[in-house]
Amino acid sequence: MRRIYSLFLLVSLHAWADSNRDEIDHIHTNHAQEKFVDGETLEIDSQRFEKFIEGLSNCQIAIISVKGMVCDFCARGIEKTFKRDSSAIKVDVDLSNGKVLIAFAKDIKIDVNGIKEKILANGQNATDLKVLGI
Amino acid sequence: MGIRFAMTLLCLLARDLDARPISYSGASTLMAFSNDIKNSVYYHYSPTYKYSLGVEFVRDKFQKKNYASLRFTSLLNRKNTQHSQRNLYFQSGISFDEPHNRFYGIQGDWETRRWYSGFNFKKLDYKGVNYTEQFYQFGVAPYIGEYGDLHSWIMIKSRKNSFESNWSTYPVLKFFKGNALIELGYSKKTQWDAHIMYRF
Repeated sequence: MRRIYSLFLLVSLHAWADSNRDEIDHIHTNHAQEKFVDGETLEIDSQRFEKFIEGLSNCQIAIISVKGMVCDFCARGIEKTFKRDSSAIKVDVDLSNGKVLIAFAKDIKIDVNGIKEKILANGQNATDLKVLGI
Repeated sequence: MGIRFAMTLLCLLARDLDARPISYSGASTLMAFSNDIKNSVYYHYSPTYKYSLGVEFVRDKFQKKNYASLRFTSLLNRKNTQHSQRNLYFQSGISFDEPHNRFYGIQGDWETRRWYSGFNFKKLDYKGVNYTEQFYQFGVAPYIGEYGDLHSWIMIKSRKNSFESNWSTYPVLKFFKGNALIELGYSKKTQWDAHIMYRF
Protein backbone atom coordinates (compact mmCIF):
# COMPACT_ATOMS: atom_id res chain seq x y z
CA MET A 1 0.00 0.00 0.00
CA ARG A 2 2.94 2.32 0.69
CA ARG A 3 4.00 1.91 -2.96
CA ILE A 4 0.51 2.94 -4.07
CA TYR A 5 0.62 6.09 -1.93
CA SER A 6 4.07 6.90 -3.32
CA LEU A 7 2.85 6.43 -6.89
CA PHE A 8 -0.22 8.59 -6.23
CA LEU A 9 2.01 11.29 -4.72
CA LEU A 10 4.40 11.11 -7.66
CA VAL A 11 1.60 11.40 -10.23
CA SER A 12 0.06 14.28 -8.24
CA LEU A 13 3.35 16.18 -8.20
CA HIS A 14 3.83 15.58 -11.90
CA ALA A 15 0.24 16.69 -12.56
CA TRP A 16 0.74 19.80 -10.45
CA ALA A 17 3.86 20.73 -12.40
CA ASP A 18 2.06 19.93 -15.64
CA SER A 19 -0.94 22.09 -14.71
CA ASN A 20 1.40 25.07 -14.21
CA ARG A 21 2.87 24.40 -17.63
CA ASP A 22 -0.65 24.10 -19.09
CA GLU A 23 -1.47 27.57 -17.81
CA ILE A 24 1.64 29.07 -19.44
CA ASP A 25 0.87 27.29 -22.73
CA HIS A 26 -2.72 28.40 -22.48
CA ILE A 27 -1.62 32.02 -22.32
CA HIS A 28 0.97 31.90 -25.08
CA THR A 29 -0.23 29.54 -27.77
CA ASN A 30 -3.16 29.35 -30.13
CA HIS A 31 -4.99 31.98 -28.22
CA ALA A 32 -6.24 35.16 -29.76
CA GLN A 33 -8.10 38.01 -28.26
CA GLU A 34 -10.30 39.44 -30.95
CA LYS A 35 -11.38 43.04 -30.52
CA PHE A 36 -14.60 44.22 -32.09
CA VAL A 37 -15.26 47.75 -33.37
CA ASP A 38 -17.47 48.42 -30.36
CA GLY A 39 -14.50 47.72 -28.06
CA GLU A 40 -15.73 44.32 -26.85
CA THR A 41 -13.20 41.52 -26.71
CA LEU A 42 -13.54 37.81 -27.36
CA GLU A 43 -11.04 35.16 -26.32
CA ILE A 44 -10.94 32.31 -28.77
CA ASP A 45 -8.60 29.54 -29.82
CA SER A 46 -7.85 30.87 -33.29
CA GLN A 47 -6.61 27.57 -34.75
CA ARG A 48 -9.69 25.77 -33.51
CA PHE A 49 -11.96 28.50 -34.84
CA GLU A 50 -10.28 28.39 -38.28
CA LYS A 51 -10.77 24.61 -38.35
CA PHE A 52 -14.40 24.97 -37.32
CA ILE A 53 -15.27 27.41 -40.11
CA GLU A 54 -13.54 25.36 -42.81
CA GLY A 55 -16.06 24.68 -45.54
CA LEU A 56 -18.64 27.03 -44.03
CA SER A 57 -19.80 30.21 -45.68
CA ASN A 58 -22.68 32.62 -45.33
CA CYS A 59 -23.09 31.62 -41.69
CA GLN A 60 -23.34 33.08 -38.24
CA ILE A 61 -21.13 31.55 -35.57
CA ALA A 62 -22.37 31.72 -32.00
CA ILE A 63 -19.45 31.55 -29.55
CA ILE A 64 -20.69 30.70 -26.09
CA SER A 65 -18.59 30.82 -22.92
CA VAL A 66 -19.68 28.08 -20.54
CA LYS A 67 -18.93 27.68 -16.85
CA GLY A 68 -18.82 24.25 -15.24
CA MET A 69 -17.88 22.27 -18.34
CA VAL A 70 -15.13 20.27 -16.65
CA CYS A 71 -15.45 16.79 -18.13
CA ASP A 72 -16.22 14.97 -21.33
CA PHE A 73 -19.66 13.91 -20.07
CA CYS A 74 -20.73 17.54 -19.48
CA ALA A 75 -19.47 18.52 -22.92
CA ARG A 76 -21.13 15.53 -24.55
CA GLY A 77 -24.51 16.56 -23.12
CA ILE A 78 -24.16 20.03 -24.59
CA GLU A 79 -23.07 18.68 -27.96
CA LYS A 80 -26.00 16.25 -28.09
CA THR A 81 -28.47 19.00 -27.16
CA PHE A 82 -27.39 21.30 -29.98
CA LYS A 83 -26.99 18.53 -32.54
CA ARG A 84 -30.69 17.84 -32.05
CA ASP A 85 -31.40 21.48 -33.00
CA SER A 86 -32.24 21.42 -36.71
CA SER A 87 -31.20 25.06 -37.17
CA ALA A 88 -27.62 24.33 -36.04
CA ILE A 89 -25.40 23.48 -39.00
CA LYS A 90 -22.29 22.52 -37.01
CA VAL A 91 -21.39 22.23 -33.34
CA ASP A 92 -18.00 22.14 -31.67
CA VAL A 93 -17.20 21.89 -27.98
CA ASP A 94 -13.87 23.28 -26.81
CA LEU A 95 -13.49 21.64 -23.42
CA SER A 96 -10.08 23.21 -22.74
CA ASN A 97 -11.33 26.78 -23.05
CA GLY A 98 -14.94 26.31 -21.93
CA LYS A 99 -16.39 27.41 -25.28
CA VAL A 100 -19.14 26.06 -27.48
CA LEU A 101 -19.24 27.04 -31.15
CA ILE A 102 -22.46 26.71 -33.13
CA ALA A 103 -22.86 27.58 -36.80
CA PHE A 104 -26.27 28.82 -37.95
CA ALA A 105 -27.45 29.91 -41.38
CA LYS A 106 -27.17 33.65 -42.02
CA ASP A 107 -30.93 34.19 -42.29
CA ILE A 108 -31.76 32.56 -38.92
CA LYS A 109 -32.53 34.69 -35.90
CA ILE A 110 -30.42 33.23 -33.11
CA ASP A 111 -32.39 32.66 -29.94
CA VAL A 112 -29.81 33.80 -27.37
CA ASN A 113 -32.01 33.04 -24.36
CA GLY A 114 -32.94 29.64 -25.83
CA ILE A 115 -29.25 28.74 -26.12
CA LYS A 116 -28.58 29.83 -22.54
CA GLU A 117 -31.57 27.85 -21.29
CA LYS A 118 -30.40 24.71 -23.11
CA ILE A 119 -26.99 24.99 -21.48
CA LEU A 120 -28.58 25.55 -18.09
CA ALA A 121 -30.82 22.50 -18.65
CA ASN A 122 -27.60 20.58 -19.08
CA GLY A 123 -26.35 21.75 -15.69
CA GLN A 124 -23.83 24.37 -16.81
CA ASN A 125 -24.00 28.17 -17.08
CA ALA A 126 -23.60 30.21 -20.26
CA THR A 127 -21.86 33.39 -19.20
CA ASP A 128 -21.32 35.09 -22.53
CA LEU A 129 -22.52 34.72 -26.10
CA LYS A 130 -21.12 36.48 -29.13
CA VAL A 131 -22.14 36.08 -32.75
CA LEU A 132 -19.70 36.45 -35.64
CA GLY A 133 -20.70 36.53 -39.29
CA ILE A 134 -18.57 34.72 -41.88
CA MET B 1 -25.23 -11.78 14.38
CA GLY B 2 -25.47 -14.57 11.82
CA ILE B 3 -22.90 -14.83 9.12
CA ARG B 4 -25.57 -14.59 6.41
CA PHE B 5 -26.97 -11.42 7.96
CA ALA B 6 -23.47 -9.93 8.20
CA MET B 7 -22.63 -10.79 4.59
CA THR B 8 -25.93 -9.39 3.33
CA LEU B 9 -25.21 -6.22 5.22
CA LEU B 10 -21.75 -6.05 3.70
CA CYS B 11 -23.40 -6.41 0.32
CA LEU B 12 -25.54 -3.41 1.00
CA LEU B 13 -22.63 -1.46 2.42
CA ALA B 14 -20.27 -2.22 -0.42
CA ARG B 15 -21.69 0.75 -2.19
CA ASP B 16 -19.53 0.59 -5.18
CA LEU B 17 -17.53 3.17 -6.95
CA ASP B 18 -20.02 5.98 -7.36
CA ALA B 19 -19.82 7.97 -10.55
CA ARG B 20 -21.95 10.99 -11.33
CA PRO B 21 -25.34 10.09 -9.84
CA ILE B 22 -27.32 12.43 -12.11
CA SER B 23 -26.89 12.93 -15.83
CA TYR B 24 -27.84 15.79 -18.12
CA SER B 25 -31.51 16.41 -18.93
CA GLY B 26 -33.19 13.57 -20.75
CA ALA B 27 -30.25 11.20 -20.46
CA SER B 28 -30.15 7.63 -19.24
CA THR B 29 -27.29 5.86 -17.53
CA LEU B 30 -26.69 2.15 -17.30
CA MET B 31 -24.20 0.86 -14.75
CA ALA B 32 -22.94 -2.60 -13.95
CA PHE B 33 -20.96 -3.44 -10.85
CA SER B 34 -19.21 -6.57 -9.77
CA ASN B 35 -17.11 -7.62 -6.81
CA ASP B 36 -16.57 -10.81 -4.82
CA ILE B 37 -19.94 -10.64 -3.04
CA LYS B 38 -22.38 -9.18 -5.53
CA ASN B 39 -23.20 -8.26 -9.10
CA SER B 40 -25.56 -5.42 -9.77
CA VAL B 41 -27.11 -3.51 -12.63
CA TYR B 42 -28.37 0.00 -12.04
CA TYR B 43 -30.31 2.08 -14.55
CA HIS B 44 -31.24 5.69 -13.93
CA TYR B 45 -32.98 8.38 -15.92
CA SER B 46 -32.56 12.13 -15.39
CA PRO B 47 -35.64 14.14 -16.44
CA THR B 48 -33.65 17.26 -15.55
CA TYR B 49 -30.09 17.79 -14.34
CA LYS B 50 -31.51 18.23 -10.84
CA TYR B 51 -32.66 14.69 -10.12
CA SER B 52 -32.58 11.10 -11.28
CA LEU B 53 -34.79 8.07 -10.75
CA GLY B 54 -33.52 4.56 -11.09
CA VAL B 55 -33.84 0.89 -10.37
CA GLU B 56 -31.10 -1.40 -9.21
CA PHE B 57 -31.05 -5.18 -9.55
CA VAL B 58 -28.67 -7.06 -7.31
CA ARG B 59 -27.44 -10.64 -7.41
CA ASP B 60 -26.19 -11.49 -3.92
CA LYS B 61 -23.43 -14.04 -4.61
CA PHE B 62 -23.21 -15.19 -1.00
CA GLN B 63 -26.91 -15.78 -0.31
CA LYS B 64 -27.63 -16.62 -3.95
CA LYS B 65 -30.57 -14.25 -3.79
CA ASN B 66 -31.82 -11.53 -6.15
CA TYR B 67 -33.41 -8.31 -5.03
CA ALA B 68 -34.30 -4.94 -6.53
CA SER B 69 -34.55 -1.40 -5.21
CA LEU B 70 -35.85 1.96 -6.33
CA ARG B 71 -33.37 4.84 -6.12
CA PHE B 72 -33.81 8.60 -6.13
CA THR B 73 -31.03 11.19 -6.29
CA SER B 74 -31.45 14.94 -6.10
CA LEU B 75 -28.94 17.72 -6.76
CA LEU B 76 -29.07 19.99 -3.71
CA ASN B 77 -26.47 22.48 -4.82
CA ARG B 78 -24.14 23.08 -7.74
CA LYS B 79 -21.47 25.71 -8.21
CA ASN B 80 -20.03 26.15 -11.68
CA THR B 81 -16.90 28.19 -12.29
CA GLN B 82 -14.77 28.55 -15.41
CA HIS B 83 -12.51 25.66 -14.43
CA SER B 84 -14.38 23.72 -11.77
CA GLN B 85 -17.68 22.25 -10.68
CA ARG B 86 -18.86 21.50 -7.16
CA ASN B 87 -21.92 19.36 -6.40
CA LEU B 88 -23.90 18.27 -3.39
CA TYR B 89 -26.45 15.46 -3.78
CA PHE B 90 -29.11 13.79 -1.67
CA GLN B 91 -29.47 10.12 -2.43
CA SER B 92 -31.90 7.46 -1.30
CA GLY B 93 -33.04 3.96 -2.06
CA ILE B 94 -35.79 1.60 -0.97
CA SER B 95 -36.18 -2.12 -1.54
CA PHE B 96 -39.16 -3.23 -3.64
CA ASP B 97 -39.59 -6.44 -1.65
CA GLU B 98 -39.01 -5.13 1.85
CA PRO B 99 -39.72 -1.38 2.16
CA HIS B 100 -38.12 -1.21 5.62
CA ASN B 101 -34.78 -1.94 3.92
CA ARG B 102 -33.66 1.50 2.75
CA PHE B 103 -30.85 4.02 2.71
CA TYR B 104 -30.38 7.76 2.43
CA GLY B 105 -27.40 10.06 2.52
CA ILE B 106 -25.44 12.89 0.97
CA GLN B 107 -22.72 12.85 -1.61
CA GLY B 108 -20.49 15.71 -2.70
CA ASP B 109 -17.72 16.33 -5.18
CA TRP B 110 -15.50 19.06 -6.49
CA GLU B 111 -13.58 18.63 -9.68
CA THR B 112 -11.49 20.41 -12.23
CA ARG B 113 -10.07 18.81 -15.34
CA ARG B 114 -6.99 17.93 -13.30
CA TRP B 115 -8.16 17.32 -9.72
CA TYR B 116 -11.04 15.49 -8.10
CA SER B 117 -12.26 15.20 -4.52
CA GLY B 118 -15.45 13.65 -3.27
CA PHE B 119 -17.19 12.28 -0.22
CA ASN B 120 -20.25 10.22 0.61
CA PHE B 121 -22.11 9.69 3.85
CA LYS B 122 -24.93 7.18 3.94
CA LYS B 123 -27.31 5.81 6.57
CA LEU B 124 -28.78 2.38 5.96
CA ASP B 125 -31.64 0.56 7.63
CA TYR B 126 -31.58 -3.17 7.16
CA LYS B 127 -34.13 -5.32 8.99
CA GLY B 128 -34.57 -2.57 11.58
CA VAL B 129 -30.85 -2.17 12.28
CA ASN B 130 -29.20 1.17 11.47
CA TYR B 131 -25.75 1.42 9.93
CA THR B 132 -23.65 4.17 8.42
CA GLU B 133 -21.08 4.22 5.69
CA GLN B 134 -18.79 6.99 4.56
CA PHE B 135 -16.00 7.46 2.07
CA TYR B 136 -13.62 10.12 0.85
CA GLN B 137 -11.94 10.07 -2.51
CA PHE B 138 -9.14 12.10 -4.09
CA GLY B 139 -7.98 11.87 -7.65
CA VAL B 140 -5.64 13.33 -10.19
CA ALA B 141 -5.66 13.16 -13.97
CA PRO B 142 -2.09 12.37 -15.10
CA TYR B 143 -2.75 14.17 -18.40
CA ILE B 144 -5.46 16.48 -19.75
CA GLY B 145 -7.19 14.95 -22.73
CA GLU B 146 -9.09 16.82 -25.38
CA TYR B 147 -12.81 16.32 -25.91
CA GLY B 148 -13.38 12.77 -27.18
CA ASP B 149 -9.99 11.45 -26.02
CA LEU B 150 -9.49 8.65 -23.51
CA HIS B 151 -9.50 10.30 -20.07
CA SER B 152 -7.77 8.66 -17.12
CA TRP B 153 -7.84 9.25 -13.38
CA ILE B 154 -5.73 7.84 -10.60
CA MET B 155 -7.60 7.93 -7.31
CA ILE B 156 -7.27 7.03 -3.67
CA LYS B 157 -10.41 6.08 -1.79
CA SER B 158 -10.87 5.69 1.96
CA ARG B 159 -14.01 4.13 3.33
CA LYS B 160 -15.39 3.05 6.66
CA ASN B 161 -18.67 1.62 7.87
CA SER B 162 -20.18 0.85 11.25
CA PHE B 163 -18.93 -2.72 11.01
CA GLU B 164 -15.29 -1.76 10.89
CA SER B 165 -13.13 0.05 13.38
CA ASN B 166 -10.50 1.06 10.81
CA TRP B 167 -10.61 2.94 7.55
CA SER B 168 -10.00 0.92 4.43
CA THR B 169 -7.91 2.77 1.84
CA TYR B 170 -7.32 1.53 -1.67
CA PRO B 171 -6.48 2.75 -5.17
CA VAL B 172 -9.06 3.28 -7.89
CA LEU B 173 -8.37 3.74 -11.58
CA LYS B 174 -10.97 5.43 -13.74
CA PHE B 175 -11.02 5.61 -17.54
CA PHE B 176 -13.64 7.13 -19.76
CA LYS B 177 -14.10 7.78 -23.42
CA GLY B 178 -17.17 8.92 -25.27
CA ASN B 179 -20.24 7.66 -23.44
CA ALA B 180 -18.48 4.88 -21.57
CA LEU B 181 -16.64 4.77 -18.26
CA ILE B 182 -14.86 2.03 -16.37
CA GLU B 183 -13.61 2.12 -12.79
CA LEU B 184 -11.41 -0.49 -11.20
CA GLY B 185 -10.66 -0.62 -7.50
CA TYR B 186 -8.53 -3.02 -5.55
CA SER B 187 -8.27 -3.72 -1.86
CA LYS B 188 -6.82 -6.70 -0.02
CA LYS B 189 -10.12 -7.19 1.76
CA THR B 190 -12.56 -7.20 -1.15
CA GLN B 191 -10.12 -7.88 -4.00
CA TRP B 192 -11.20 -6.37 -7.32
CA ASP B 193 -14.21 -4.12 -7.83
CA ALA B 194 -15.25 -3.34 -11.39
CA HIS B 195 -17.74 -0.70 -12.37
CA ILE B 196 -18.83 -0.05 -15.94
CA MET B 197 -21.09 2.80 -16.97
CA TYR B 198 -22.69 3.82 -20.24
CA ARG B 199 -24.58 7.06 -20.72
CA PHE B 200 -27.03 7.61 -23.54
